[in-house]
Amino acid sequence: MKSAVVAVLATFAIGSTVPSAPAASQTIQLLISADTNIQTLWNTVLIPAFEKEYPGYKVNVTFDRNGINDAQTFARIVAAKETRRDPGVDIVDGGISERLAQAKLLWRPSVGLVPNLSDVSKVLVKQGAGRIPYRASTVLLAYNSTKVTKVPKTLNELLAWIKANPGKFTYNVPSGGGSGYSFVQTVVDMNLTDAERKAMVLGQDKTIQLKWAKGLETLRELNKFTYGKNGTYPANNAATLNLLSTGEIDMGTVWSDQFASAKAAGTMPANIKVTAIKSPSLTGGPAWLGIPINGSNRKGGRLLANFVLSPAMQNAIMGGALKGIPIVNLAKLDQALAEGVKDVDVTDMRSPNFPANQDDLKSTWALNVPGK
Amino acid sequence: MATSNIVATKEGFAEIKTAKLSTLGFFMALPPVLVIILFVGLPIFVAFTFSIGYTGGPNRVISIIGQDIFKKDSWWGTASAYTTVFKDPRFIPDLVVTLVVTFLSTFIVLFMAMGMGLYQRIKGGRVASILSMLSLVPLFVPVVIAAYAIAQFYNGVGFMRTFMSQFGIEFPVITATRNAIVIGTVWTSLPFAILMITSGLQSVPNALIETAQDAGASFMRIVRTILIPLAFVPIVIAGTFTAIGIMGSFTVPLFLGPNQPTMLGVEISNFFTAYNRPQQSIVMAFVIFAAASGIAVLYIWANVRSARQSGRI
Repeated sequence: MKSAVVAVLATFAIGSTVPSAPAASQTIQLLISADTNIQTLWNTVLIPAFEKEYPGYKVNVTFDRNGINDAQTFARIVAAKETRRDPGVDIVDGGISERLAQAKLLWRPSVGLVPNLSDVSKVLVKQGAGRIPYRASTVLLAYNSTKVTKVPKTLNELLAWIKANPGKFTYNVPSGGGSGYSFVQTVVDMNLTDAERKAMVLGQDKTIQLKWAKGLETLRELNKFTYGKNGTYPANNAATLNLLSTGEIDMGTVWSDQFASAKAAGTMPANIKVTAIKSPSLTGGPAWLGIPINGSNRKGGRLLANFVLSPAMQNAIMGGALKGIPIVNLAKLDQALAEGVKDVDVTDMRSPNFPANQDDLKSTWALNVPGK
Repeated sequence: MATSNIVATKEGFAEIKTAKLSTLGFFMALPPVLVIILFVGLPIFVAFTFSIGYTGGPNRVISIIGQDIFKKDSWWGTASAYTTVFKDPRFIPDLVVTLVVTFLSTFIVLFMAMGMGLYQRIKGGRVASILSMLSLVPLFVPVVIAAYAIAQFYNGVGFMRTFMSQFGIEFPVITATRNAIVIGTVWTSLPFAILMITSGLQSVPNALIETAQDAGASFMRIVRTILIPLAFVPIVIAGTFTAIGIMGSFTVPLFLGPNQPTMLGVEISNFFTAYNRPQQSIVMAFVIFAAASGIAVLYIWANVRSARQSGRI
């Protein structure tokens, strides 16, 4: 009986100490809307370093793979703004920041409050419209250097190579991964003028979309020359990388950072290399952070964004498992690592289309290409 | 049930007690029914109103984000979303593939489960027990892992092709085909069907089977006239749950099926997320809902029939 009373009192004692613990540290709610390699970057590199530098803060991560719940998250943030409640997100990493910027729901950064922003090109900051770039990535053409004797340099050469080597090239379904989407957009952009391409990046345009027909026809013709020769395509980025590493295809479109990480991890054989093509080049661009204007811990979000732009973290993004492309001026970074990325001009990458155009292209591709 | 002319007799008191018990029963059953109405019924109703064009209230934010949203244009709403989906060249082939795969897989699952159940019932023994245990393994493997494993098994460099090439046979690559979806859905649906049908067959009394055997009935006659009718409800349960589960499946068709036409589960996800057309995806969901309700009617009919036969109704 006495031990029961002691047990009950002990439970109450333990229970009553719990609420007072979190008062010591502030929490920053980070939403990652990207693939798993970015989640690894945050969890193993950026967040531990941040929490070490700022012991008073704790970062709480929500991971939404490939942005599958972007619509709901956006709805939540909009609803929170209307009802003046906490949206539960202080900083986002992913494509959803673009929709937030369009809806004017982002806190606009300034060099005064985010000092490291001064090392980032002004062109990018302006393009951001409230978003903060923190790394760059681009889609490249991966090829098997032992099988491919003459590496294609332009899109036309690539298309000719595909037709000359049936079953040895593929790209993933555009709605399943960005590397396949980039190839599809590049092929349709081949038939658009420069002005039309710029317009497609800035806003939805149904009249220019009609000009996609020729590019889609090209893609439809490729059905009998891609892997499987039956108009079926792998489901996501990882599937294309897998086909390359097992040697089932000799060429495929891949994300630069996913490819570099696979090389470093040993899952991509040494004879697979990457190259960039021209006229037009495959798309790429910065990855953006966004701080919602109604977030409860905007200060924490700001500190985190600033920290990620510091030279130490940009070096870690370059040299760590991600093998990403840094966004700040290369002069301030580790020169040995910067050697590998000095040819890349982050301000001159071809951007993917405006989100509404992307959605339409994914849908039109599915309507016109696979299985035809 | 509560009568007004209550007589002060034993029968009268029994009637009052029954009336009080039924009221008590009603209130005890009320909380779960309310939970179902609130968390299942209400969202379905809201989604249905969105599909016919009511874009206010709970549907306001999704209407802002989504593309190709049709707002209501008459007093009851609009049928534009439905006509757009039915006119979409992807929808009818997807619906056909969904229904074909569902019925084909359900048939194969029931056939294999009946075979397993009959073997266990008639023959019994160690081999039957070992096979039964093995057939339950898919129950414990998450569907994502199962789908990926089956894809790896049958793909261009998978086990089947490698093994067959040792004998000089060129085994076809069957990933990204409709038949691969059938293989995948049969693999994942088998354990539940086997459990239901085996237990249903086990509950048939031995005496009936032995009497029939003594009277000289053949094996197929026993199966047709005794085992299947008596195990009818478990078989129908296994069939309907398998069919409804396969109809809405997503992971298996995503990994194993072609890109177009694919099953409606994958198409709904594409429309909602990738193409940002939530209204159309909800229309497709209601089409599956209607098809599944048709199968559920079968289930209810089987249960009512069996209840009538056993005298409960």
